[in-house]
Parts: sequence; structure tokens; C-alpha cells
Amino acid sequence: MNENEKEFNLSIKGNIRDLLAFKNLISKRSKLIQKASNLPKGDPIKNLSRTLHPQKQSLVISEIREETKSTKTYRLISESEHIKLAYFRAGQYLSLKVQVNGIDITRPYSISSSPLDSLHGFYEITIKKAEDGFLTQYIWENWKIGTKIESSGPEGNFYFEPLRDSNHIVGIAGGSGITPFSSIAKSIINGTINAKLTVFYGSSEEDDIIFYDKFKEFENNFPNQIKIIHVLSCEEISLEGCEQGFITAEKIKNYVDVEECSFFICGPQIMYEFVEKELTRFNLQHKKIRKELFGEIKNIVSIPNYPKESIGKTFSIEVEIGSLITEIPALATESVLTALERAKLAPPSKCRSGSCGFCRSALISGDIFVRPLDDKRRSADILRNYFHPCSSYPLSNLKIVVPRAP
Amino acid sequence: MNGQEFNDVYDVVIIGAGNGGLIAAAQLAIEGIKVILFEQHNLPGGFATSFVRGRFEFEGTLHELCDYGPEDNKGSIRRLFENDLDLQVEFVEIPEAFRLICTDKNDPIDIVVPFGLEDFVTAIDTVAVGSKEPLLNYLKLSEEINGAITYLTESKGNPEKDILLKKYKNFLKSVPYSLDEVNNALKIPEKAQKILDAYWIYIGIPTNRVNFTFYSAMHYYFLTRKAYFPKYRTHDFSTALESKIREKGGKVEYNTRVEKILVEDGKIIGVQTSKGDKIQTNRVISNASPTILYNDLIYPKEEVPDIAYKFVNARKHAISCFSVYLGLNASAEQLGIRNYSYHIFDSMDTEKVYTSFNTLNPPMVQATTCLNNIIHDCTPPNTSMLMMTTFFLPGVWDNVNPKDYFNLKSKIAYNLISSFEKALNISIKDNIEEIEIATPQTLSRYTGAYQGSAYGYESDPWDSFIPRLMAMNDEKFIDGLEICGGYSSQGVSYTNSLISGQISAFLTLQKIRGGE
Repeated sequence: MNENEKEFNLSIKGNIRDLLAFKNLISKRSKLIQKASNLPKGDPIKNLSRTLHPQKQSLVISEIREETKSTKTYRLISESEHIKLAYFRAGQYLSLKVQVNGIDITRPYSISSSPLDSLHGFYEITIKKAEDGFLTQYIWENWKIGTKIESSGPEGNFYFEPLRDSNHIVGIAGGSGITPFSSIAKSIINGTINAKLTVFYGSSEEDDIIFYDKFKEFENNFPNQIKIIHVLSCEEISLEGCEQGFITAEKIKNYVDVEECSFFICGPQIMYEFVEKELTRFNLQHKKIRKELFGEIKNIVSIPNYPKESIGKTFSIEVEIGSLITEIPALATESVLTALERAKLAPPSKCRSGSCGFCRSALISGDIFVRPLDDKRRSADILRNYFHPCSSYPLSNLKIVVPRAP
Repeated sequence: MNGQEFNDVYDVVIIGAGNGGLIAAAQLAIEGIKVILFEQHNLPGGFATSFVRGRFEFEGTLHELCDYGPEDNKGSIRRLFENDLDLQVEFVEIPEAFRLICTDKNDPIDIVVPFGLEDFVTAIDTVAVGSKEPLLNYLKLSEEINGAITYLTESKGNPEKDILLKKYKNFLKSVPYSLDEVNNALKIPEKAQKILDAYWIYIGIPTNRVNFTFYSAMHYYFLTRKAYFPKYRTHDFSTALESKIREKGGKVEYNTRVEKILVEDGKIIGVQTSKGDKIQTNRVISNASPTILYNDLIYPKEEVPDIAYKFVNARKHAISCFSVYLGLNASAEQLGIRNYSYHIFDSMDTEKVYTSFNTLNPPMVQATTCLNNIIHDCTPPNTSMLMMTTFFLPGVWDNVNPKDYFNLKSKIAYNLISSFEKALNISIKDNIEEIEIATPQTLSRYTGAYQGSAYGYESDPWDSFIPRLMAMNDEKFIDGLEICGGYSSQGVSYTNSLISGQISAFLTLQKIRGGE
């Protein structure tokens, strides 16, 4: 492009004036700076951030309700009357910190109350007591009115999004997996969500059904918007209008026009395996099925490809966390996150399902097992040996760097 | 403040693991300096990040990286990554600059703007006849400006006046002026100027204010070295830098906010973090902006001189971004999306569009990318993804009621998707499998940037990179403090932020080795 060799002379306001303008630039700059205010200023958008996405919320139990023989609802309010609860989208969860025998662990619990309730000062979470769960056992015995609980802000992506989802939501729930649908139903009723909800709710016994009366009331008052179909796996059923067996494609087809729905699934691990298989019969687009996370894998050795020779082994993990370097034992069949918690290292965690990445850590050496389905790591993290301890299982001794929790 | 107890001692503390902070930390660690990098978020990168939703991994913010360059014509970023830091990061070349669509009925434009000096001139001259000569002068001037910048860098900020006056006179003359002023003086036809202006949204102020020198320097790099994109998103180089820092003995601490920079008699003596740790140090490199430093971090407050407040208050924070990330269940080809980068405007009046950033009305502009058109396997077969970005001025989102926030996000996202569909005459709404929406609030939360601003301070001629560099030594108010990132003297953009990291590291190193 240099064929034009003639000297090019730029003139904007005149040769001399342009050079003078350059010469005077710094004095002009100083004058503008001198003229400015000397008062400190705040960063107002941070207020919106703090209200929507606080890093932590200090909550206290204000009410406890027994829902079934094995389920309780805990109403949580802000510990300080000056700090408002974060607003959320129906279907989101809170990651609650529980200290059991001096060990800090977290658990994600879907919020069962409506987003508008949070503006009126409370969240509700509904917990089902697991038969062999040491954590729910602890909660049953220790959570009383007045108990203080540290929580995350609202988290998770299991919510209705009008730009993506059909306005007929079909919920498929099992056990305490009904909780997000309770919040979604309330949001539909109070107009926060403009959609229709049909829930297929699987329970093993009649007295295991959570929110039976509540949903009956919703159905009666808003018959065009809310419908629930109870599917009971027990032999004898006394409640009216229930289905017997499991949530099959056949049953779903009898109640809804599959083509015009978005399916939202939330329940125990085994339910997903069954329901997903049933849904494949409809040949649905990927976008029509949304799954809530269910926490850590219950029985890692049952996962195909899990190297069976690791069963029963204990490995050693060299952990760098903050300024501490320490060595901890880790069972092959337990997530690295659990090993870190057991060693009282208080690692960060939220979803415990491999998805949110909050526990992202560096794997300096050693091998881990991650179920491909739960491997929600960024591609560069996989490439460069970063991992999510909540969905990773040691296959050898490890050396890792873990961030401290906020 | 005597007798303070510290938990640890470091040569240098770096605040923020954004582009600048990561590079600064990596460079210092390589030099054997004992360095610790604090980041409030749980990830490296700041704006340079990615996230996973369902089957898709979305890029957080980058549209294209300027001045990376091909193997045989390495730009500053490629030299920084490959030669200086020995990073292995895979990049792909972006074939053309962008497709510009102006939907203004009175002045419609639809043109694919190419890279390459000659192709660029030819493409514009075709739609704006008579542009060739003035554009050649524009390029000549841009070339001189780039020569001058190289000279200024090589002279380490001590250029010889004679050389500047003799070789780079036109450069000097361009420095006090806006893009419009110089382009008018060059007699570039109006239509050609409109096409030339389309990068203004990468800097964020209208063309009657944005400094010509800054603009044309960036533009010239794009034309001569094309644009590049990291194959595994920007999170890849952020993570590569994180690993490099550790490998070289540096330390990275996430979920940790530096809450106080402890200052005594105008000199840094340490920092205090949100974890309560106190680190002894005399040197801090801040990826956080001067606004945040002087308003929040310097402790005690009495150590902040009046002039420091004036220094930050004289400047305006540039626009913040609003982005919609779409995972689509059809391929780009099936949907009719053929280009990588789209700049779609309701109007080419940059002042008018800029003013609209002050409202929550339907956006008048979007910069949209479809990664599948440069990285074909970046999503599963028969899917694709889009990142649509528009802009807001600081303050617009401050008073949004949390209760209305989610609906407002969806509404603006709907507007952006609709105008994209209209501009391309295609339909994508039924194909949305995943959607995520980021607002200025999101950016503020993840990066800590003041008001969620993505583009540093506005680059008016008086506060463009040249006057900033010229005044740099007079505008240091705390001994031991260097600034890197989008608010540094280099000015905004990925490229400048990355380079500023290295410059701040070298300036710090000089002082350490100077034996102060």
C-alpha cells in the first residue's frame, strides 16, 4: 500500500494548532482533573448484587411444621431485621451449612415457598428424613426454633424460563423432589410465572406424600393452572384419583399432550434412571427435558465404568488449602469433597453434583474418576487438570490445591 | 500503625485475577519474585471466563482478540503468551472482521467487512464510492501511529522529542482529536465513515468523543494481524496463567477479597483480606480500578490525597454489557447464521445510540457472535450457540427492583433475539435449548468492576492512552502501587489489559531490583 510515496501531512485544525493542541494536552488534562470533585463515592449497583446474590445469608429457624411422618418444613428468616432475604426464581435451592460433630458440611435444599414469600421475609425448605442419613438424623434432633443456619444465596438453574420453555410445565417428582414444584405452583398462582403446571408425583406409601392437602387446595382453586397426579407404588391405595405403579410414559400420555410440554424432573437418583428411559419413548427434543441435580452420587460403585478394583481402597491426598499443606485419607468410594469435609478443611461447595463449579480445584497429580454424565467441567479445566471435588472419586493418591471457602 | 502483626510476607501482592492481574502474577513468578494473587471470585480470568449450561460451554465476554497475529506476523499478545510466558494455548483465526447491518430504513447497510488493508479499502470503496484515496490516507496515518507506539514502547516511555517530531508528527497531531474530527479532516465520505465507525462499541463512547489515535491503533492491528479466538474459550488462557503462576512458585487465593491496602506515610506496608489475613508487602499491583482503590481499599482514608479523588472523579466509567447466551438445537447453517461476528445497529448515529444506553428501552445495537462459524465442533452436532451483547451506561440498573429483575432480563433478551432474527430474516426462538442472561449486575458481582463497567474509563482524547502514559508518573499517589487491567494507562480491551499486566510487572520489578 506504500505506492503513494508523497509525504502525507495531517492537518485537522491547522498544522500549528494541531501541534499546540498536543503540547497543551497535559495541562488540559490537569485542569480537568483539578476541577473534579474530591468526594468519595459509592458503587450503587453493589446493592442490587447484594440483594439478589449475597455470598452468604445468616438465617434463623422461625417455625417448624411436620408434613408427614418423615418430613418437616423449616421456615427460615433473616437473622438481622436489617438484611433482606435474596429474591429468587421458583425451583432454585439454598446451600445450607450444617455442623455435625464439629464437621462443616453443606447440603443443597430446594426452596418450597414462593419467591414472593422471600420478599415478605421468609424461605421454607422441606426435608425428608433419610433412613440411613446421618445428616437428616442430626437435623431432626438438633434444628429447633431459633437455630441459626448459614446459607448461600439462591442457586441453580432448575427454573421456568419463558424464552426457552413451553408454557405447560410437566413436573415429574419423587419423594422430597416435590419441593421445587411447590414453589413453582405458588408462583403460577400468584402470577409470577405465566404457565400451567401438571405434576406426576411418585410416592411409595400414601403417608409419604408431601403437600397432599396443599396441592389439593391449589387444584380446587385453580383447576386450569395446577394439576397433580399421585402415582403410588404400594399395593393398597385408599386415596381417590391416584395411579398405581410408577411414572410411566403410558400414564403421562393419558394426562398431557406431550408435544406441547416442557418436562422438569426432580427426585431421587433411581427415579431419574427410570423416568428418563420412559421419556425416551416420546422422542423429545433435548430442550424439552430439564433435570434438577440430586446431589452426590449415592452408590458410585454401581456406575458403569467405575473401576471395581478400587472398591474398598483408601488413598492419601496431599491438600494445599490457604497456607496449610496437609495429608488426609480418602475412601475410593467417597467424593474428594467428602474427604476434605471429614478432615475439617471446610472446602467450598454448593451444588454437590459436579455442576456449579464452586469447589473447582487443581489436580497436581494422581487419577480421579468422574461419571461422564456429571462431568460439567469447562473444557479447559479438563484439559489442564482442574476438577470438581464434589463429583470426583480418587483412584490413586492425589495432590491437590483447594480454594478456601469465602 | 507500628507493631502490626502480619501472617505472611510477600514481595508483591496482586489484587484481582483478571487479564492484567494474571499476567502480572505470571510474569513476576517467572522472574522469581514471591507473589500472591487474591481474587474475590472462585475462578481466574475476571471477564475472561466461560460457563457450562447443559450441552454448551459459553464464552463469557470475548468477541475477538486483537493483535494476536499469525505465526509469521506475531502480534504483542502472541509474543507475550508464546515468547515471554511460554503458555500453550490454542487459538483459531477469525476469517473476517464483521458483518455490519444497519436496519435504519433511510440508510440501510449490510456489508461483510474484511481484514487485510487492500480488501478493506476495496470493500468500502465498493459501497461508498470515492472512499479509496481518503482511506489510503487513513491507513497511512494508522501505520504511522502504530510505528509511533512501537517506538514509544521501545524507548520505555523516554522518547526523543526530535524523533517524534520528525518521524511521527502526524501521530502527535492526531492525539488531541476524536475519530470524527480526524476522519472529517481526511475527507472520508460519510457512508465510509459509518462503516469505519462500527468498532466504536468495542470502546464504548461515540465517535465524536472517542480518541482517534486509540481507535485507529486498534483498527490497524485488526486489519494487519486479523483477529483470533482461543479454541477452548478465554477460560483456557486464564487457567493456563493460573497454572503457570503456581508452577513458578506463585500463589493464587480465590474467594478472597483484599479489603484494605495498609498505607503508612504514603507507602504501602501491607494488605488485609476478607479472611482476616494480614500480608506484609511494599508492592501492590491492582487489577481493581483506581476508583475502587481510592474509595474503598486504601487504609487509613487519610492516606488518600484529595487529588486522587479528583483523578478518579474527573473520569467517567464506560459502558457495561448485557449479554444473552443461547444454546440452539440446530446448526448455524440450518438456522441461516453464516458469519461469526455481527454488528447490528438501528442507527449509525453513534451519539444517539450511546444516549440510548442510558435507558432500559429496547436496545439499538448488538454485537453478536456465533462461535460455530470459527470453531465448528464447539457444540455437539446439529446444535450451535450465540452470544448477543448490548450495552448500558453505569447507573441505569441501580434502581431496578429485585422483584422486577428477572422479568426485565427476559424482556431485554427477547428484544435482542427479535432484532437479530429481523436483521438476518431468520427465526431462532423455537430452537432455544439453553439461555443465560448476564446484566451489569452480573458483571459487577463476578468481576467486582465498578458499576459493572466493562470498558474502564471512557477514552476521550484528554484521557486516552497517550495522555495517560505522558502523565503516568505525576498520577501516582501511593508509593508501591501499580495499576493494571482495563483501568490502566494502556486503556481498555483484552489486548491492552493483558499487556498492562506485563507492564505493571516490569515497573514493579524495576523498583524491586533498583534496590529501593
